[in-house]
Amino acid sequence: MRAKTILVSLLALMVLVAGCGGGGGAPQAAAGEFVRLWNDPSTLDPHLTGDTASAEIVVEVYGGLVTLDTDLEVVPDLAERWTISADRKTYTFTLRRNAKFHSGKAVTANDVKWSLERAADPKTESTTVDTYMGDIVGVKDKLIGKASEISGVKVIDERTIEITIDAPKSYFLAKLTYPTAFVLDRENVQSGPEWFKKPNGTGPFKLKEYKPGELIVLERFADYHLGAAKLNSVRFFLAGGNPMVMYENNEIDTIGVGLADLPRIQDPKSPLNKELNVAAPGFQTSYLAMNVTRPPFDDPKVRQALAYAVDKEEIASKVLANRVKAATTILPPGFPGFNPDQKGIGFDPQKAKQLLAESKYGANMANFPRITLTAPGALGSAVGLDLEAMLAMWRENLGIQIEVQQVEFATFLGDVDARRLQMWELGWVADYPDPQNFLDILFHSKSVNNQTGYSNPEVDQLLEQARTEADEAKRLDLYRQAEDLIIKDAPWILTWHEAERYRLIKPKVKNSQYLLLPLVVPKYRLLSLEE
Amino acid sequence: MGAYIVRRLLWTPVLLFIIGLITFFLSLYGPGDPIQIIMQQYQDPAIVQRVREQRGLDKPVLVQYGIYIKNALRGDFGESFKFRGQTVSSLIGRRLWVSAQLGLASLVVSLILGIPFGLLAAQRQGRWQDTSIISGSLFFYSMPVFITAPFLLMVFVLWLKILPSHGWGGLFDARIIMPALILGLPGTAFIARMTRNSTVEVLSQDYVRTARSKGLSEFRVFWYHVLRNAMIPVFTVVGLGLATLVSGAIITETYFGIPGIGRLTLDAFFARDYPIITALTLLIAGAYVVANLIVDIGYRFLDPRIKFE
Repeated sequence: MRAKTILVSLLALMVLVAGCGGGGGAPQAAAGEFVRLWNDPSTLDPHLTGDTASAEIVVEVYGGLVTLDTDLEVVPDLAERWTISADRKTYTFTLRRNAKFHSGKAVTANDVKWSLERAADPKTESTTVDTYMGDIVGVKDKLIGKASEISGVKVIDERTIEITIDAPKSYFLAKLTYPTAFVLDRENVQSGPEWFKKPNGTGPFKLKEYKPGELIVLERFADYHLGAAKLNSVRFFLAGGNPMVMYENNEIDTIGVGLADLPRIQDPKSPLNKELNVAAPGFQTSYLAMNVTRPPFDDPKVRQALAYAVDKEEIASKVLANRVKAATTILPPGFPGFNPDQKGIGFDPQKAKQLLAESKYGANMANFPRITLTAPGALGSAVGLDLEAMLAMWRENLGIQIEVQQVEFATFLGDVDARRLQMWELGWVADYPDPQNFLDILFHSKSVNNQTGYSNPEVDQLLEQARTEADEAKRLDLYRQAEDLIIKDAPWILTWHEAERYRLIKPKVKNSQYLLLPLVVPKYRLLSLEE
Repeated sequence: MGAYIVRRLLWTPVLLFIIGLITFFLSLYGPGDPIQIIMQQYQDPAIVQRVREQRGLDKPVLVQYGIYIKNALRGDFGESFKFRGQTVSSLIGRRLWVSAQLGLASLVVSLILGIPFGLLAAQRQGRWQDTSIISGSLFFYSMPVFITAPFLLMVFVLWLKILPSHGWGGLFDARIIMPALILGLPGTAFIARMTRNSTVEVLSQDYVRTARSKGLSEFRVFWYHVLRNAMIPVFTVVGLGLATLVSGAIITETYFGIPGIGRLTLDAFFARDYPIITALTLLIAGAYVVANLIVDIGYRFLDPRIKFE
């Protein structure tokens, strides 16, 4: 998933905190309402969901066959178990007996089949279905209108469904946790065009009230199959406000803390100091990409030279006040496959000069091709300070003057995809916890999301091998090898990973650690309030 | 006058048709592609093409506009690009009503404070009351919302703890006080200055001297001869200001968590949400047409010398 900047990119991967904890003990009476600010979701239809603002609500109201727990392991949701065939291409899911919609109706294998087919129906206009369900046999035919059903999805009996994929891909189950594959109630969906305002989901909360742009209220679903919520309800204000004032005036229970307020709250004398929590950084990587098919970036030495010429540590600490960490790898820290030993391309101005001189453009610097770097920006926003610093470092260390042009985000995305740009600033946020989501999607020469034009047969081969490797350790090792090669070839200048974020949480909120996860997760059923 | 109004009303649809067409052209030929925005990171060209065809965005512009007008006449302004599955009418409807109420409240603040202060300044022309009202109004007029909003929040919410900091409950809810003041105060200043200037001008007219020399009481002179004439320019400003009721106030709405039209407008422009952009443009244009008409007709009552052809 793309992210404009680190500040914009709070986000996106879905992890259900289901299945953990296990239980025992007398059931507590549900009580209280948790209140927070949230962004107006662009949709509450799971099959159309592709952004965090929507996903945060959708994962609480709906569910799918499987979900992810806090350790990013796939765990059962509506399915209680599944078996995988010997060729690792056929998955047979058995549904829970107690899985039901909010209306009380039991979830059947036919509901699952109908939902998957609805997601893949061209009329649904799902933008995420190719990514998350494209591995299922027959989804592509359904999408282009060649088939009315998905041939790879078969109902065996009331509680059993069989899904066949095109190759033994071990990340398939992780993809199935995304809302695109969530189960909907056919009657509900067919009740009218704005059915999602009165949804009949299977999640831990019912949508009690929805006023677009103003308010969402979720109410606990007492019969939830993974354990009903301890809270009675959750209220999301969507219209904005002044977060700090709202928090201090006890109108909301949690807020993210920005740089402006942080020093005041970090002061131990501040009454808010005890309510300050550190949240894990999101899985995100920012970078400067180069079009490797265009001069001067068709010579890897030029790309490497630019990378060696910037002192990221210095920029991270002095310019960005440690809001970010200098990135040495493509996969962000903590992400499956993250390689802590990879030191990346560090700051070495001598080596940078040498590489540039050795490059095919180095002999005659007077004729060095012009470089234009495009950065997304709207409302006449300033170029990022980090970028300013990098421009200065290239000027100083290599004598290269790079021009910057700013383009509004809508135009920018189109230009990036059409490979019209020479060099640009962008970021990527994980959609599901698998290295495939970064490396294969962005760097395989045949991927539609490969915007740099990067092509290395050796990398392609490693990525293809990793797709179907059954042994998890071997698979991660293949990705590690591919990542090493890509970092060396430098189609990207890796810039930042997100650093820790700060959040104020009222002391009355129990289990508040679930508000600090790096991912969008259905977590509200685990919270409780203590007055 | 009846014929005049009918003629003006008949021209309105033609005007709106042309404005709609221009908006439609501009949004289609301007940079940025709404499908790209819908697709976000999932940029398979085949899907982009598929969605484009399904949305009818591959058809010639005039055909697209024709379809749009046909549906609009039936009250169907289409479905938002950004807010998937939601109709433009449902997205705009409630927010518009909220913004209109807030706008009305701030207009009332402007009038209730502005006119009396303006009249007082005119009566005390050149004295300390005049100077302090005019300089005070300049102060409020030049004060940006970035300063007034946090100041009011600090005083009323954090110190006095008498108002909630955000939200919406309609015209008769305490939460409207701060935003209405913030939006109304610059208007107050404007109306006070305008009232003062036009009153001062009217006071120096011959007919006022005549009225006074006839021996009319100062009260009668003021209410029957001065006020009515002095109000004509103020009426123009306020009348046209009615049109701004539908356009919302982005910053104030966002600052006070008011679910108005301002934020939606901004989001729609950045997301190239054509259906919303076009509907809002038509709405605002329509509001100006109506406001202009009201002002023109209002003149007739304020000043019988004004005639319609």
